[in-house]
Amino acid sequence: MSQDKIDMLQRALAREKAARKQAEKILENKSAELYDAKQKLEKSYSELETLLNKTDSQLQGVFENIVDAYVIIDLTGNVLKMNDAAVGLLGFEDSNQDFNLIEMVHPNELERVAESFKYLFNNGTLTDFNVIIITRKKEEKLVHINASIIYDNGSPVAAQGIVRDVTELKTLEIQKEKLLKKLEKSNDELQEYAHIVSHDLKSPLRSIDALVNWIKDDNKDKLDEVSLQNFKLIETTLEKMEQLISDVLSYSSVGTNESEKVNVNLDEVITDLIEIMYKPDHVTVEVLNKLPTLRGDKTKLQQLFQNLISNAIKFIDKEKGFVKINVENLQTHYQFSIADNGMGIEKKFHDKIFKIFHSLNKSKDSTGIGLSIVKKIIDLHEGEIWLESEPGKGTTFFFTLKK
Amino acid sequence: MKALNILLIEDDMIEVMKLNRTISTLKLNHKLIEANNGEEALKILEKKDELPDIILLDLNMPKISGIEFLAILKKDNVLKYLPTIILTTSNNQKDLLECYRLGIAGYVLKPLKYEEYTSKIEKLLAYWSINELKKV
Repeated sequence: MSQDKIDMLQRALAREKAARKQAEKILENKSAELYDAKQKLEKSYSELETLLNKTDSQLQGVFENIVDAYVIIDLTGNVLKMNDAAVGLLGFEDSNQDFNLIEMVHPNELERVAESFKYLFNNGTLTDFNVIIITRKKEEKLVHINASIIYDNGSPVAAQGIVRDVTELKTLEIQKEKLLKKLEKSNDELQEYAHIVSHDLKSPLRSIDALVNWIKDDNKDKLDEVSLQNFKLIETTLEKMEQLISDVLSYSSVGTNESEKVNVNLDEVITDLIEIMYKPDHVTVEVLNKLPTLRGDKTKLQQLFQNLISNAIKFIDKEKGFVKINVENLQTHYQFSIADNGMGIEKKFHDKIFKIFHSLNKSKDSTGIGLSIVKKIIDLHEGEIWLESEPGKGTTFFFTLKK
Repeated sequence: MKALNILLIEDDMIEVMKLNRTISTLKLNHKLIEANNGEEALKILEKKDELPDIILLDLNMPKISGIEFLAILKKDNVLKYLPTIILTTSNNQKDLLECYRLGIAGYVLKPLKYEEYTSKIEKLLAYWSINELKKV
């Protein structure tokens, strides 16, 4: 190798050495900077922890014993502290865990969570935020979060949140909704069914009535008094049957097609009702006190009073009869009374009369459904019904309706 | 009074007898065309030059129900103009609303008493005989 070449190589080597030295110097500076940064970071973390631990013992107790999961995170989502409930909820074994909450968010929810974080930082609080997470035990859970920012000297340093597992609640809610839908459907079907049955039962009655009429007309001069009497009985029986079917239908309709509750001025409704009702001459119907206005279903409330008043009128056996309607103002309910001086009801029947098809008097216009409809309407208005009665003297029905 | 061509769509034999008897007792000269169900009625209505003046329609029928029949009728460009009066025992609010939605010329409930039926039919037919009916 020539001297020239050796010199050239030596110069190159020296240059390389200098460059390496320079690089080492830069690296050294960088790592010092890095070290500094790390120190600073550690310092701020420990400051943060001290800040968080500075809570007095009472608060510490709350933190540990709170039933809901409680988590403190730094501003990027790293968990700084959590209580036992949180450890359980998130599927850990203990609270010494180094992880970021974002890792647990269900992939489909990331966008929403990012938005909620933004909202939290901008507004300081975040309430009623529901999100699906995947816990460390790989369980999917729906959690409900209320969170707020923790400030130190006015600048945000961390965030705290109460996390509640609402997975089961949600499942129950969905179940409830499904059940309600099903119930609604079967209710509708039942209603539909009641209408069809009532139609199918009523149609033959019309036919029988027509046929009876034709036989009567076609044999005008040939039928004797007894036969005419018997035809009359057939017609009466048909009317009773018709009434029965209508009543069953209306009984099955109470409670379905839940109409909006409105303010019902009972004073007006009942005064009008008494006006148009059939009242024999020997019976007076009077309202003793002004009746209130309450929230309810107008048609049903009207039906309630109509059934009770017409019942009272129907069973009056005295020469001068009366029906007296009164009201008393209770705390949550109004208590109404409808008193008559009719034949009265024996004690042993007091419960029975509200059951369907339980007519005490077999007559053309009582099917034994009126009072069960009354009971159903009162149930709908969260009230109760009972009675006091003395056989031979009269009966007073009492019932309450929710204000 | 104008004599009407009435198409009665009714599956119950006695109901058909009732209307026939009512028309004859009242000595009305309306002509009754009978169809036992919706399908039969649609066949009758195929003859566009012999369309009835009014239709009396029962709701509860096998095969095509009254409401289904009404829906078919209202889709037809010619038949939709025929005044259709529902004659039924059903006072189901749902049926009533559906009929009004589809378009009907009346909704008459069959009463229990035959005398009342006669009186309702008398008024119904009297009303339609004084109407100006569209001839398509």
